[in-house]
Amino acid sequence: MNDHTLNDIAAHQPAATEGTLKMAARNVNVFYGAKQAIRDVSIDVTQENVTAFIGPSGCGKSTFLRTLNRMNDTVASARVEGQITLDGEDIYSPSMDVVQLRARVGMVFQKPNPFPKSIYENVAYGPRIHGLAAAKADMDQIVEKSLKRAGLWEEVKDRLTDSGTALSGGQQQRLCIARAIAVDPEVILMDEPCSALDPIATAKIEELIHELRGRYAIVIVTHNMQQAARVSQRTAFFHLGTLVEYGDTSEIFTNPRETRTKDYITGRYG
Amino acid sequence: MSNLAILFLILGLGLVAWLTARAKAAGFQPVGGIRPHSRPNHHGWYVALWAIVPALIFLAVWSNIAPGLTMAAAIDTPAGATLPAAGMERSAILAEVRGLASGRVQGGFYPLAQEMVPAYQAAQTRYGIAAAALAVILALAGGAFAFTRLRPDFRARTRVERVVMIGLLVASLIAILTTIGIVGSLLFETMRFFSKVSPVEFLFGTTWSPQTAMRADQVGSSGAFGAIPLFWGTIFIGAIIAMVVAIPLGMMSAIYLTQYAAPGVRKWMKPVLEVLAGVPTVVYGYFAALTVAPAIRDFAAFLHIPGASSESALAAGLVMGIMIIPFVSSMADDSIAAVPQAMRDGSLAMGATTSETISKVLVPAALPGVVGGVLLAVSRAIGETMIVVMAAGLAANMTANPFASVTTVTTQIVQLLTGDQEFDSPKTLAAFALGLVLFIVTLLLNIVALRVVKKYREAYE
Amino acid sequence: MNSPIPVPATPRTPTDWNSPAMQNRIRRRYAAERRFKALGLVSILVSAAFLAFLLITMVGNGARGFTQTEIRLPVDFARSTLMLDPAALKGFGADAALAGADIEGVTAAAADAAFGDGGARLLSDGAWLSVREAIKERPEVLQGKADIWVPAATSVDLAAKGDGDAAGEAAYARLKAANAVQTGINLTFLTKADSTDPTLVGIWGALKGSLVTMFVTLILAFPIGVLSALYLEEYAPRNRWTDLIEVSINNLAAVPSIIFGLLGLAVFLNFMHLPRSAPLVGGLTLALMTMPVIVIAGRNAIKSVPPSIRDAALGIGASRVQVVFHHVLPLALPGILTGTIIGMARALGETAPLLMIGMRAFLASPPGGITDPATVLPVQIFLWSDEVSRGFVEKTSAAIIVLLVFLLAMNGLAIYLRNRFERRW
Repeated sequence: MNDHTLNDIAAHQPAATEGTLKMAARNVNVFYGAKQAIRDVSIDVTQENVTAFIGPSGCGKSTFLRTLNRMNDTVASARVEGQITLDGEDIYSPSMDVVQLRARVGMVFQKPNPFPKSIYENVAYGPRIHGLAAAKADMDQIVEKSLKRAGLWEEVKDRLTDSGTALSGGQQQRLCIARAIAVDPEVILMDEPCSALDPIATAKIEELIHELRGRYAIVIVTHNMQQAARVSQRTAFFHLGTLVEYGDTSEIFTNPRETRTKDYITGRYG
Repeated sequence: MSNLAILFLILGLGLVAWLTARAKAAGFQPVGGIRPHSRPNHHGWYVALWAIVPALIFLAVWSNIAPGLTMAAAIDTPAGATLPAAGMERSAILAEVRGLASGRVQGGFYPLAQEMVPAYQAAQTRYGIAAAALAVILALAGGAFAFTRLRPDFRARTRVERVVMIGLLVASLIAILTTIGIVGSLLFETMRFFSKVSPVEFLFGTTWSPQTAMRADQVGSSGAFGAIPLFWGTIFIGAIIAMVVAIPLGMMSAIYLTQYAAPGVRKWMKPVLEVLAGVPTVVYGYFAALTVAPAIRDFAAFLHIPGASSESALAAGLVMGIMIIPFVSSMADDSIAAVPQAMRDGSLAMGATTSETISKVLVPAALPGVVGGVLLAVSRAIGETMIVVMAAGLAANMTANPFASVTTVTTQIVQLLTGDQEFDSPKTLAAFALGLVLFIVTLLLNIVALRVVKKYREAYE
Repeated sequence: MNSPIPVPATPRTPTDWNSPAMQNRIRRRYAAERRFKALGLVSILVSAAFLAFLLITMVGNGARGFTQTEIRLPVDFARSTLMLDPAALKGFGADAALAGADIEGVTAAAADAAFGDGGARLLSDGAWLSVREAIKERPEVLQGKADIWVPAATSVDLAAKGDGDAAGEAAYARLKAANAVQTGINLTFLTKADSTDPTLVGIWGALKGSLVTMFVTLILAFPIGVLSALYLEEYAPRNRWTDLIEVSINNLAAVPSIIFGLLGLAVFLNFMHLPRSAPLVGGLTLALMTMPVIVIAGRNAIKSVPPSIRDAALGIGASRVQVVFHHVLPLALPGILTGTIIGMARALGETAPLLMIGMRAFLASPPGGITDPATVLPVQIFLWSDEVSRGFVEKTSAAIIVLLVFLLAMNGLAIYLRNRFERRW
C-alpha cells in the first residue's frame, strides 16, 4: 500500500461534518495494576461521524475503546482516571448505571461471539433483558428490523431457529452487530470487527457501517489503514498509549501534522 | 527354605551377575576404532536380567504347584490312606494338617491330622530344597549363558531396552486384566445365580427377601429375589434426593467462587470444598447415622408424618448430597471456565447484569459439560456404599416417602456377603448379580457422560 | 462500495432510560442480581457450615475418647484368696503362675469391699488386667495392701466426662468424694487393639492394619501405575489395543469401589484361595483401585513435560528408553507423586471393598504380617459405630479423628509437593 491509494480513498470520503458531540473523553489515564496503558487521552466522538482509532498493535486503542462502555470493569486490576461523558453525563460517576450505560453504548468484538443459541434468540437477548418488547409481536419486529439493518435478514429469515454459531464468520459478525443494534444503542463501539473475516465479508461489514452512520455514533478500532480510510470521517492515531493525532480522516491521511503519524501510515513501522 | 529366602538368594545372584558383567564390559577396548555399542551398565543389566528373570518365573510357577505336591506326598502315606474319600471332613483334616505344619494351629481335633504332619513337613522340606536348588541352577545357567555373549560389539542396550518395553507393556495390560477380572467374575457368578433364580424375577420382581430359610420345608425357603425395590431405593437416594441437594448447591458454589468471590474468599473456600471431598465415606455414614438421622426422625415425628423411621432415605440422601457437592462444583467450575471469555464480554457489553449473563449465557453454553458432570455425580452416588449401609436401612420398601426407610443395591451387596453363608447359596450369588447391574449402569453413565463432556470441550477448542 | 451512502432519513426515537417504568425495571434487575449473588454465597456457606459442624461434632465427641477415667482400688492381698507366691513371680514361669491365679475374683471382691455392694460394677471388665500388671511389676505387694489405679466402667467414665446417666453420676460423685477417681490420657486407646469393652479398646491394631495394607497397595500400585503411564504416554502405538487399555483405565477409575471388593472376593479369595481378612488381599484389592488414579495423574504429569526436552535428548543420541528414564520421568515425578498420595489417601479412607473380603473380623491383637487377619481404620470405625454400648460413641469419633489426621497429613504433603516442585513450562 502506498500514500497514493490511501489518499485517494480518504479523498472519496464525504467531508466530516462538524457534528453534535456524543461522547467526550478528557485526560483519560488507564492503568493495569502498576502499568499505565493509556496516557492523558482527550477525544470527542460525534453523532454523525464514524471515528476510527488506528495505531500499531499494543498501542492502547482497544483498551481505550473498552473504557467507553466500561468493559474494563470486568478486569479486576484495571483502573481508569479522567473524565468520559456521554451526552454530558460522566459515565464513571457513581450515579451512572453500568448496565444502562452498556445498553446505550453497544459493542462489537474482534472475534464474532454469537451466543450458542438460535439466531432469533441471539438478537432477542438484549431487548429481553432490558424489557424493550412488551409482546411477542414486538420482539419479532425488533428482531426483523435489527437483522434488516445488519443486512442479514435476507440470508437468515428462513432459518431463524438455527444456531447462531452455525453461520459463517462474516454472518456471525453481522449477527453480533444486529444483536448490538437490537437494544437501540446511541453509540456502537467496534473492536477490529473485520480482523477475523475474509475480504468479501469485510466489504459487507464496511458497507453496513456506511449505512448505520448517522443513526448511531460509531467508533471503530482497526489496524487496517485502508479500512480506516474507507469507513471513517474522523481518525485518531494512537501510539504507546498516547493519542498522537486526531482529526478529519482526509486530513490525517493526506496531510498528517505529526511525523509519527506519517511514518505509520506510510508503513515505516507498524 | 522359605520362598522369601530363595527370593533374596536369587536377587543376590543377580547383583553378583551385574557386578561381574559390568567389570568385564568396562575392560572392552574399541574394535577397529569403533566404541563398544553399549555402556558397561547395560551389559551388567543384561546379564543380571538373564540370571533373575528365569529363576523368578520358575519360583512363581513352583509356589502355585508346590502345596498340591506336598499334600499329595502327605496323603500318600499309611495315615493318608485312611482319610475320608471326600467331603467336609476330608478338607477340614487337610486344613488342619496345613495349620499344624506351619505352627498356626496349636492343638488339633483330628488325631489323623497329627499323624500326617511329619510326612507333610518332610515333603515340605524336600520340595523346598529341590526348589531352591533348581532356582539357583537356573539363575547360574542364565547368568553364565548371558555372560558368554558379552562382546564389545554386543548390543546389550537394545536387549535390555526391549525387556524394559515388555515390562511397560505388561504393566499397562494389568488394567485390561482387571477389567476382564471384574466382568468375568461378575458374569460368572451371575450366571450361576440365574441358574437358580430366573433373570425375569430378579429384574422385574417387586419382593426382596433373600433370607433363605433354614429348613427346606419352611415357607419362602427359596427366598424372594425381586430387585425392583432395591433399584428404586438406589435411584431415590442417589439420583433424586442427593442430586436435589448437590446440583443447586454445587452449581451455585461454583458460580459464586468463579464469578463473584474476591480472590481472598476463593483462596479459602476452595480448600474447604476439597476437604469435603476428601472426608472418607465411612465418616459421612457415621455422621448421618449419629446426628442427621435422629434429627430427621424427630422432625418427622414433630410433623406427624407416618412411616418415619430412624433410618430414612432423607438422612442418607442429604448427607450423600453434601458429599457430592464438591464433585458437582468442580465439574461445573470446569465447564463454565471452558466457555470463552468472549461470550461473557458479549453479554456484559449489551448491558446484562452478571447474574443475567451467568444464567442466560454462561450456564446454557456450559450445559452439556454440566450435564456430563451431573451424570458422573449420579454414577458416583449410586455406587456409594458406606453412607447408605450406615444410614439408609435394610427394609426393601417401594415408597416415595423420604422419611421412610429404603434400601439400596450397595447396602444389600454388603448385607448379603457379610453373613456366614456358604459361597454358592443364591443369597451370596445374588450379591454378584446386583454388582453386575451396578457395574453396567455406572459404566453406561460414565461412557455417556465422558462422551458428552468431550464433545462439549471440542466445541470450544 | 466506496460510493457514499446517504445517512438514513428515518427519525430515531431513542429509548427513554429515565422513564419510571424503565427505572423500576432496572431496580428489579439489580435486586435479582443481589439475590443471585446471595444465593451463591449461601450455597458455599452451607458446605462450609456442614464441614464445620461435622468436624466440631467429631472433635467434641472424640476428644474424650483419648482420655480415660481411673479408679483407685485398694486391694488387701494379704487377706485375699489369692494363692500366689511372690517368689514364683520372679523370672521364668511368672506368666504361667499369674494365669493360674484368680485375679479377677480378687479384684471384684476388693471393689465390693471398697465401694460397697455392686462396687465391682464401677470397674471396667478389664480392671483385673491392671491388677495383674501391678503384681507382675512389684510382686512384693502380695504381702500387704496396695492402691492400684484401674480403668473405670463405661457409666462412671461417661459421668466423669460430663455425659453420664443418673446412676453413673451418683457413683462418680461418691468416688469423687472419696478422692478415688482421676481422668488422664488413655494410653490403652493408642496402644491396644479391639475389645468388647469400650474402656479397653485401642486403635493401634486397626492403624497397624491400615499401614500394612497401604504398604502392600503402594508397592503394587505405584510401579504398575507409573510404568503404565509411561507406556501409554511415551511408547504406545495408536491402535485398538492402546484404545482398549485407555478405555479400561478411564472406566476403572470410575467403577464404584464396592465392585473391586466383589472382584477381590471372587478372584483373590474364592479362586486363588489367598487368606481371608489379610492385608495382602486388602492391599491387592486397593491397589487395583488406586492404580488407575496413579495412571491418570501420571499421564497428565508426563504430558506436561514439553516435547522440546525429548527432542533435545534424542538430538544428542539418547535412546527412547534413556530419554524417558533420564529426562521425562524425573521431571514428571513430582506430579506423579502428588497423584499417588491423593490416590493412597483415597484408599486409606476406603471401607466397602474391604468389608467384602472379610477385613471386618473382631481382632483383639494387631496383625503381625501381611497374611495375618487384620482390620483397618475405616472398617474399625464402621464396626464400632454398630456397637450399642454408649461408651463406643466417643471411641468411634476418636478413631475418626485419627483417620482424618492421617488424611489431612497426606493431602497436606500432596499440596506441599505440588507447590514446591511442580513447574510451569
